[in-house]
Amino acid sequence: MATAERLVRSWMASEKDSEVDESVAGISSGQLTLLEIIKALGEFLTSEEDRLRAKGVEFLSSILGRCPHEKLNRQAVGVLTKFYCSKLEDLETIIPALKGLCHLVKFPNVQSADAKDILDAIFANVKMRALVQSIRFYVFTIVESLLSTHRGTLKEMGSMFLSGYVNLAVGEKDPRNLMLAFSIARVVLVEFDTSAHTEDFFDITFCYFPITFRPPPDDPYGISADDLKQSLRLCLSATPALGPLGIPVFLEKLTAGSPATKRETLHVMSICLPVYGPVVTHEFGKKIWSSLKLEIFQPTDPTTEQSALDTLQVLVRTIHADTSRDTVGVDSIASLARDICSECMQTLKEPEKAQARAAMKVVCVFAGADGPLSSFAVSQATELLIRNFHDPDEVSNRASIVTLLTELIDACRGDATHASVPQVSVLSSSPLAASKDALLGLLIVGLKAPATRLPALHGLNALVRTPTLVADEELGYIVLEVSELLSQEPDEVEDVTADTLTLLSVIAAIAPHHLSSQTLPILFSSLPDDAPSRDAAAQRASYWRALSALSILCVQPQLFETLVIRLTTKLDLLCVISPTRTTDEESTAAYAHAILTGLANTLDTKVSSKDVDVPKYADQLLPHMFRLYLDSALASSEVVAVAADPRLLQVGARIIRLVSETLNVAQQEKLVTAVFAAYMQGDVKPVTNGLLNSIAPFAPFHLNASSRQRNSLTLFSSTIIPLRKEVRIPVNNLSTFLSELVAWSDSSSSTSFQQEAALHTLASIVNKHVEDASGFLSSQLEDYWSSRLNSTSIPVEVRKNAISTWIPITRALLVRSHSSAHAFIDHLFELLDDNTVDWDAARALGLLASEDPVLTKRNAAVLKILHVQKYFNGVMPRLLEGAKGVSGSRRETAYLVGLASLINAVPKAVYVTQMPSLMPLLLRGLDLADPSIRSHIINTLSNNIDITSADNATVSMYASTLVLAMLKNCMYSEMPDPGVRAAALKYLALLPGTVRYDLLHPYKAGVLKELAKALDDPKRVVRKEAVNARTNWFKYNG
Amino acid sequence: MTGEIFNANPTVYALSKRSTRKSKFEAGRSLWVDEHDQPKLTDESDIEPIDQDEIFDLIRSIADPEHPNSLEELRVVSAEQIEIGHNHILVEFTPTVPHCGMSTLIGLSIRVRLMRSLPQRFKVDIRVKPGSHQSELAVNKQLNDKERVAAALENATLVGTLEKCLEPVGEHGSL
Repeated sequence: MATAERLVRSWMASEKDSEVDESVAGISSGQLTLLEIIKALGEFLTSEEDRLRAKGVEFLSSILGRCPHEKLNRQAVGVLTKFYCSKLEDLETIIPALKGLCHLVKFPNVQSADAKDILDAIFANVKMRALVQSIRFYVFTIVESLLSTHRGTLKEMGSMFLSGYVNLAVGEKDPRNLMLAFSIARVVLVEFDTSAHTEDFFDITFCYFPITFRPPPDDPYGISADDLKQSLRLCLSATPALGPLGIPVFLEKLTAGSPATKRETLHVMSICLPVYGPVVTHEFGKKIWSSLKLEIFQPTDPTTEQSALDTLQVLVRTIHADTSRDTVGVDSIASLARDICSECMQTLKEPEKAQARAAMKVVCVFAGADGPLSSFAVSQATELLIRNFHDPDEVSNRASIVTLLTELIDACRGDATHASVPQVSVLSSSPLAASKDALLGLLIVGLKAPATRLPALHGLNALVRTPTLVADEELGYIVLEVSELLSQEPDEVEDVTADTLTLLSVIAAIAPHHLSSQTLPILFSSLPDDAPSRDAAAQRASYWRALSALSILCVQPQLFETLVIRLTTKLDLLCVISPTRTTDEESTAAYAHAILTGLANTLDTKVSSKDVDVPKYADQLLPHMFRLYLDSALASSEVVAVAADPRLLQVGARIIRLVSETLNVAQQEKLVTAVFAAYMQGDVKPVTNGLLNSIAPFAPFHLNASSRQRNSLTLFSSTIIPLRKEVRIPVNNLSTFLSELVAWSDSSSSTSFQQEAALHTLASIVNKHVEDASGFLSSQLEDYWSSRLNSTSIPVEVRKNAISTWIPITRALLVRSHSSAHAFIDHLFELLDDNTVDWDAARALGLLASEDPVLTKRNAAVLKILHVQKYFNGVMPRLLEGAKGVSGSRRETAYLVGLASLINAVPKAVYVTQMPSLMPLLLRGLDLADPSIRSHIINTLSNNIDITSADNATVSMYASTLVLAMLKNCMYSEMPDPGVRAAALKYLALLPGTVRYDLLHPYKAGVLKELAKALDDPKRVVRKEAVNARTNWFKYNG
Repeated sequence: MTGEIFNANPTVYALSKRSTRKSKFEAGRSLWVDEHDQPKLTDESDIEPIDQDEIFDLIRSIADPEHPNSLEELRVVSAEQIEIGHNHILVEFTPTVPHCGMSTLIGLSIRVRLMRSLPQRFKVDIRVKPGSHQSELAVNKQLNDKERVAAALENATLVGTLEKCLEPVGEHGSL
């Protein structure tokens, strides 16, 4: 007792939270009882002084809020209920009493009689308008709790409760309270008999529609407009009774609202109409349609238009909801739907007009509905359009008609283009089935005229993609007609080749036999046996057209096999080694090159889509390739050997790489063993599958090897590049092999083509087999470094060459974050102090971070994540340090070049934080003589302008310098390199969007005047950038 | 703007493919099919003069003042309606209806775009296609009179409307 007294008194004096805590702790542990506290509080609870009374109740309520629920029995709850209800009558204690009740109703021992008493007392005494938001929140919480625990009692209260609650809720504005009010309203509307109070509930829900609430920036409750919208939607769609009152509200908002309101209204209508039911919807149907019509036929924006279409779909479904189940037939279609249909048909009579498209969208919505309505609308529209198509007066509108029909076909299939339309089940026949023949005929007719050709192709495409609609023989017919387009001259056909091929490749996936019997023969026949002569440009264009078409169509396995056989046969004939120079060698080589390119393109598509039939071509195609190329490589330089041309070798290498990439370890091992046998031991039998029997020795690695043999190393490297790291390289000592390779590449007779092949091989092997190459690496770091890179006694060209060899080795180590990479990088830094090769070494530092085609995931390279970042973080500070000086020495410039190359090579996220300190250096770099460095820097600046736009202090600070520097770099008279000019103009175009107008205002007139000169640049690309830049500067205003 | 709509339901045409310039192989200048036939920016020798297609590229994307369509879609302008001579350009355009009150505005937006985008050495004539507009002479006069164009560009409201027409840009975010 004494404790209770003490706690109460000290609370009354201090109002400290600790007293409440202590009391609750006492009650929980059993040392105190609630009764004791109430007794101790006694005098305050009944005190004459308002302030003391309120404080007393407040203390009790605070304790209740934290008191364990099991500590109050039924009697106690009952007594407390009575007590609080009586305190509600007292103006002074109403606030703490509501708080107490709010806690009390959560106790499980609240009886239904208590619940009724509480509500009665609240209804009788609480004047919501007199209370602040947080107290009103207690009231809503009380109602909500009781609604969930004593729903039955509340239902029994009936009208009392409903009207009482409506009085409480009316006029509420606070978002937190509204969230509660909406959820209460939803429950009441769904579960209670509100028929007598529909209008009241309509008033306290629809008055909030549409929600325009925007949360304040520091909203403590985190209620978003979306939360409110969601719960209001649930209220509005709670009961059909709201329909007759609600729909007029929707329609009114739809005519008057902003686009956002319109979209929200349309969305809510889509939710509400099914609930309101067919009868009400039908009653308002005409009015709804006329509102929707406005949104569809005169759309404000595409999203609203789509929402209106969605709502229309719901409308149509709703009015047919009760009929479509039992009566199936045309009679079941509501008159409204008929009216809408006939309105659309009227519009469709002018298919070329913009409104016709809108009307077609409506028909498409109908096509997505189920049952008779879908076929009714579709058949009406197709009949009308087909009739129109054949009407001689309407010939000029045929293209539009076909386009409209295509949309309809797409809608009937219900695929991605009309995402809102659910999939028409495969079992039910497509609504198009009836008019399929007419449609097909129409589309084929459409193919014949240039104006309708493109839309007809799209239509056919839509048709064949509809599952089960088109029969096999009909596909054959389509292929026959469409293939004709491919054989026509390109000028006559207004470039529909791409769409023709798209259609045919769709069919190729379904029915390849039609293509192999009808399309491929046409295409193969347009490939001549001999290369067209030098001046026959038209024939060349024609064979390339055929080859491109073939490479697109023959992706399907069966067709690809045919393609490989036909094309390799053609190649064999073309690449025959002839001792006399009678034929036009270059034309033939170009033709063979085109054939190989076509083949490689198809393979590329197949590899990218992971087709499983690619690996088998390691046996079927690769030996053929090797025979072709090695045969030519072995030929003496006196005779004509087309396949020895480096350009052909390059495509061949691409084919080998593509096939090799798809092989598994065992298959790759087999291939690489055969290739090594040929290149190292001169045994060409295994790799050509015995097809090649040559007497001349094949020894490309020999120092005196012919140039043709040396060139063929590119095939060797393309076999090695995609090897997995598990595949062993079949040599005795890898280090020796690599050193030989470097020596071969460095030899004075090597061309850059041969070097590239060697260096690719080098990079790939070092990357995947670094453990076996430690001897090679150390000899590089010591002997090679001192005798080549760092030797001042040898010619500069040789040293530059050595740097190019250095780069792939270093990069191979770098991408796998190998520790020895540092030593290689350090040596490059040493070269920055060397006056003869400093710029080359500097550029190399950038190249190390650049993407390359060899060390990629696709080629199974060993890659560590974030290796670029690590490299950047290691190298950047050193470059910054070196470039910072302002003495203008050669060494500084070299560091600057390194810096510019590096930044250009790495992704911008890597260096964006350092941009402020980099900016002055980059600006200095703009004065460097090398155009490639300049364009690197300008590109870097452009890439960063958008990042810095949020905090564009860096750009703004240098804005005037930048403008002048760029103007200097974009003039034809001052900068001969068009790439730099274009980059500078691009940057100038970006500036107005980034920098505050007042900073650049003094320059505007001058920039416009200077840019007028750039408009007359001899290069089209540059002019285009100049136009952009100048337009942006014209629009640049304060 | 008066709010009157002169042609509420215009015919919308499909866009022709974007003019693709021929690669060296297609133009018959090279025997070799080159997959990556990018116009080399470092190639300093070639001079590419301004041609019909380039001018059309400049004006095709201008928006119609009445509709959310481009002038190209409504066939108000086309590549064939552009003539280019030595330092002289003639652009013809076809209003969608003969009583179109927007013709002057369309013509003016074409003029402004070309004024901003072409070197000053060119003299630009802009005309309504003969027989396509009821007050053809008046429109032509308005559009080709230096003073009148300058006066029109002093009018802030008009310039605002013009900028709106000129706002849309081509496919790749550029003209």
